[in-house]
Amino acid sequence: MAELSFNKDHGYLEGLVRGMKAGILTDTDYHNLAQCDTLDDMKLHLQSTDYGKMLSSSEEDLTVSLVDSKLRENLVTEFSCLRSNALPPLSTFLDYITYSYMIDNVVMLITGALKQRDVAEVLPRCHPLGAFDQMAAVGIARTPTELYSAILVDTPLARFFQEAVSDTNLDEMEAEILRSKLFKAYLESFHSFCKSLGGATRDTMCPVLEFEADRRAFIITVNSFGTDLSGADRSVLYPSCGKLYPEGLQLLARAEDHEQVKAVADCYPGYKIIFDDPEPESGCKTLEDRFFEQEVKLNTLAFLQQFHFGVFYSYIKLKEQESRNIVWIAECVTQRQKSKIHNYIPIFK
Amino acid sequence: MCSLLRGEEMCLAQLFLQSGSAYDCISELGELGLVEFRDLNPSVTTFQRKHVNEIKKCEEMERILGYLLREVKKADISLPERDVNPVAPLPKHIMSIMEQLQRLEVELGEVTRNKDKLQRNLLELTEYTHMLRITRTFVQRSVEREPLQAQYEEFPFLEKDTMLEYSSMQRLGAKLGFISGLIQRTKIQAFERMLWRVCKGYTILSYAEVEEYLEDPDTGEPSKRVVFLISYWGDQIGQKVKKICDCYHCHLYPYPSSNEERNDVVEGLRTRIQDLHTVLHRTEDYLKQVLMKASESVYTWVIQVKKMKAIYYILNLCSLDVTNKCLIAEVWCPVDDIPTLQRALEEGSRKSGSTVPSFVNRIPTNDAPPTLIRTNKFTSGFQNIVDAYGVGNYREVNPAPFTIITFPFLFAVMFGDLGHGAIMALFALWMVLYENNRKLKNTRNEIWNTFFEGRYIILMMGLFSIYTGLIYNDCFSKSLNIFGSGWSVKAMFTEGVWKIADIRGNRFLTLDPNVTGVFTGPYPLGIDPIWNLASNRLTFLNSYKMKMSVILGIIHMSFGVILSTYNHLHFKKKYNLYLVFLPELLFLLCLFGYLAFMIIYKWLVFTAKDSRLAPSILIHFINMFLMQGDGMQPLYPGQTGLQVFLVVIAVLSVPVLLLGKPVYLYWLHNGSNRIGMYRGYERVRRNSEEELYLMRAHDMEEGSGHSDLSTSGERPTEEFDFGDEFLHQAIHTIEYCLGCVSNTASYLRLWALSLAHAQLSEVLWAMVMRVGLRMDTTLGVLFLVPVFCLFAVLTVSILLVMEGLSAFLHALRLHWVEFQNKFYSGTGVKLCPFSFSLLPSSFEHDGLL
Repeated sequence: MAELSFNKDHGYLEGLVRGMKAGILTDTDYHNLAQCDTLDDMKLHLQSTDYGKMLSSSEEDLTVSLVDSKLRENLVTEFSCLRSNALPPLSTFLDYITYSYMIDNVVMLITGALKQRDVAEVLPRCHPLGAFDQMAAVGIARTPTELYSAILVDTPLARFFQEAVSDTNLDEMEAEILRSKLFKAYLESFHSFCKSLGGATRDTMCPVLEFEADRRAFIITVNSFGTDLSGADRSVLYPSCGKLYPEGLQLLARAEDHEQVKAVADCYPGYKIIFDDPEPESGCKTLEDRFFEQEVKLNTLAFLQQFHFGVFYSYIKLKEQESRNIVWIAECVTQRQKSKIHNYIPIFK
Repeated sequence: MCSLLRGEEMCLAQLFLQSGSAYDCISELGELGLVEFRDLNPSVTTFQRKHVNEIKKCEEMERILGYLLREVKKADISLPERDVNPVAPLPKHIMSIMEQLQRLEVELGEVTRNKDKLQRNLLELTEYTHMLRITRTFVQRSVEREPLQAQYEEFPFLEKDTMLEYSSMQRLGAKLGFISGLIQRTKIQAFERMLWRVCKGYTILSYAEVEEYLEDPDTGEPSKRVVFLISYWGDQIGQKVKKICDCYHCHLYPYPSSNEERNDVVEGLRTRIQDLHTVLHRTEDYLKQVLMKASESVYTWVIQVKKMKAIYYILNLCSLDVTNKCLIAEVWCPVDDIPTLQRALEEGSRKSGSTVPSFVNRIPTNDAPPTLIRTNKFTSGFQNIVDAYGVGNYREVNPAPFTIITFPFLFAVMFGDLGHGAIMALFALWMVLYENNRKLKNTRNEIWNTFFEGRYIILMMGLFSIYTGLIYNDCFSKSLNIFGSGWSVKAMFTEGVWKIADIRGNRFLTLDPNVTGVFTGPYPLGIDPIWNLASNRLTFLNSYKMKMSVILGIIHMSFGVILSTYNHLHFKKKYNLYLVFLPELLFLLCLFGYLAFMIIYKWLVFTAKDSRLAPSILIHFINMFLMQGDGMQPLYPGQTGLQVFLVVIAVLSVPVLLLGKPVYLYWLHNGSNRIGMYRGYERVRRNSEEELYLMRAHDMEEGSGHSDLSTSGERPTEEFDFGDEFLHQAIHTIEYCLGCVSNTASYLRLWALSLAHAQLSEVLWAMVMRVGLRMDTTLGVLFLVPVFCLFAVLTVSILLVMEGLSAFLHALRLHWVEFQNKFYSGTGVKLCPFSFSLLPSSFEHDGLL
């Protein structure tokens, strides 16, 4: 029944986001971009796409970091346009999207503070989607408890902290663990929020979030090899809303090397292909790239249905992937690594 | 006229441009706007083309110009948007323009940066003064409360309440410190909470709002600020407080330790602010001067750069010749304009001083050329009506010249009212007379522009409405008695049919035209005014208008079918004449043409005397299809035989229409192998193909690099598919035969809308105007003024605008559907010539602003 009144509140924004989705670069665009010899050529080509005059309005010489920041700026402008027009359930949903960036920003600021970096130096590197007022004060805290009770208690991240609070001193390892704990809480909360929304939103968002949760579990496991993080410690960090829950996560907690992780993935057809041995002609893609590829596939599915919020999440994620692609191509162009230029992940084939 | 009927004859031409003079030649062509360029390197991406660097340069200049324009607008200097039309600058002048622009940009950038810095400085100083002034009140307040405090008089209540704690802190060597500054008003709540949480209450925050709005240096928006003063104990907490202040983007200023110092600072600030004000004014004056200077030539530059960019885009479409000495461009050009084109090229070569001339060469092609129909300000409106349906195929019969008459006429049939037509015509005439007025021409109002663009259509519609109004004898729903009615009431009395008592006793009396002297003959023009008084007026007019609509519709449709012969003859498809046109026309005329004949026959034959014997045409028409009607009295001798004959012809023409063309084409295709050699048309085609081949070979010898295109243009001989052809013809047949019935009925909208219009205007008269006219007293005159106003407003808004729009729409439909589907395919492409005048002319449109 939610479909009946969906357009009343969110129809405009859904139309908007679908229109913006039509501007996502196509295969021919990537093909043309990959042929470029200089960044100026890329600028010329991007002018004919929806990016328009994004790059040509600046006076400075083009660099990859400038391209990156412009792309990011572009994404933030689009997102804030959506956010400022959104009505309640959708506005909460959009806020949830920003929380993941906030978590990354908090952890980045903590590690920056641990390395005695100046806050002013770290701040510009934070993702603007996850910006919040108290960001600059994160460096003041010395323990997670202090961080929570003094600084983050007013931010939307506060509720994810309740489980993550501990009194140990913050070090780099602890910061990573904090990130995992926060993400676990965040994903579980987001998952249950989407479930409560019901309808097509649940049908599209839950698989995407479950995939996200499982990806985190895999990555945590793989990254923990060679560190002093024990299996029991790990299992606390696994988000429990994925498809791996509960059996797969127990197996992962016991895994000791890459082969055992692969054995776990083999039980799940969706993840089997990711861990399969790379075919010789496809080049050696990293595990991360394979996960990204799978994520893109899942996100494009969201556009097949109407009257749901999944398109907003998917659009932001796809746009992010597109930015990564453009930056990758730009890097390859500037460093003259033509052979690797085709390692981007095309979005709509 | 021929050009309007068929469009211009086009040809594909090759331009050989000497590389030295190519730029000037293209510039000349751009001023003229004659030809459409074809892309000769479609496989090359944008950034690999030849003149990409020049285009980049142009874009750089556009960027600077955009910056200049924004600054000019910000400074509120009006842009002189004059009617200058500078030609594109020569390539060697580009550098000087570029330099000028860059110099301006650097200068402007420096000045604006300085100005920003000064403004920021000024803001800081003002904030500082505000802070000092407001914090003084914090202090004074506390002094009033506890005047005897010696050392830390600012916070006496704390000392008093927490004496113990304070002394213990002093023992620890903690010092009292102050931080003061300004913060955005919206952030103060969060700021206070965070301070309290982080510093666990070891700070005191007092704050007050600044009454004035201070401008935000980053966004330029005025916003409210809050002045705050934090006092804290100990350095560690001080560090934290500072960090928190940083994170909330507070502007911090040193807090003076004593009152004397405070006064000194305030005094110093006042003089500095005054100084800054003068410097700022100077800077602004200088900035304004720079911008004034720039704004004078910025318009010229914008146009020049736009033209230059357009020229380089065109040059990118050309391909290089093998010898690299000349550029080859392919253009679509009207045949008549080739001399002009040649002259333009000569002019271009002369201007650039090149010795080798550029020249034009016509090349044969199989591609369908684009359509160009030259219009003037009168015909363009009507052409637009046709183009909105579809641009005609190349050299297809263009309905526009006929639309010039039929469109306003059909509109007027629905809108027939002398008064309304006159108002409409006068309004349009005013627009036509003042069409050169800039104020009318250059408005941004879209609705107004629509009317203004169609002023000639509206004028024609108004004039035709006057004519039909005269025929209907309708002027604001009243009739005009110009020539004197043909009916006489008096004759009824002189002949003794009526007595005075009859008039007293009856509400309605019927005039009898059979009594001598009552009906002396028809009114010379249109409907007799006496009908306006008759109670059976509507019945009479309905029958009249309905029949008229059917007759007009059948004439209009037959005309459309006849126009299709022009297409068949022109495209050398003579067989269509016998196999498509003839059965179509027979079908239409035998059925519906006969209907029109019967209507007119009945009008002519039956007079007032034997009108009671007049049969119903409807019954006769139905009986014609049923082949019945033996019991009926025939309209004329031999009616049944003729009707059967007509129906048989109409029915027979359907299979001819359905099968004739596909079967003939099939026979032509399969039989041509054996007997085609003897057929004349085959030989003709062969000849022309030979010619084509020869010409192409000639081109090859010249060593041009265009051969790839002309070979790609070579089409394989048309594949013939009987099934396809049959299917198309079957659809066409069904559409046409059913269409004849439904389209004839569709013309009844002429009757319906004209009826609606007449009734509406009558209702308006009866409900509004008559009420005012009924008042007899002198007050009635005063009362008539508002009533007339209401009448006038309703007449214009409902009868003229609304009814006019609806009649316009229906006339449009009658033309697009009922008329044009008889002959017009409208699947062509319009010629879009390369012309500087088509570039967007205002600054807003090109994204510079």
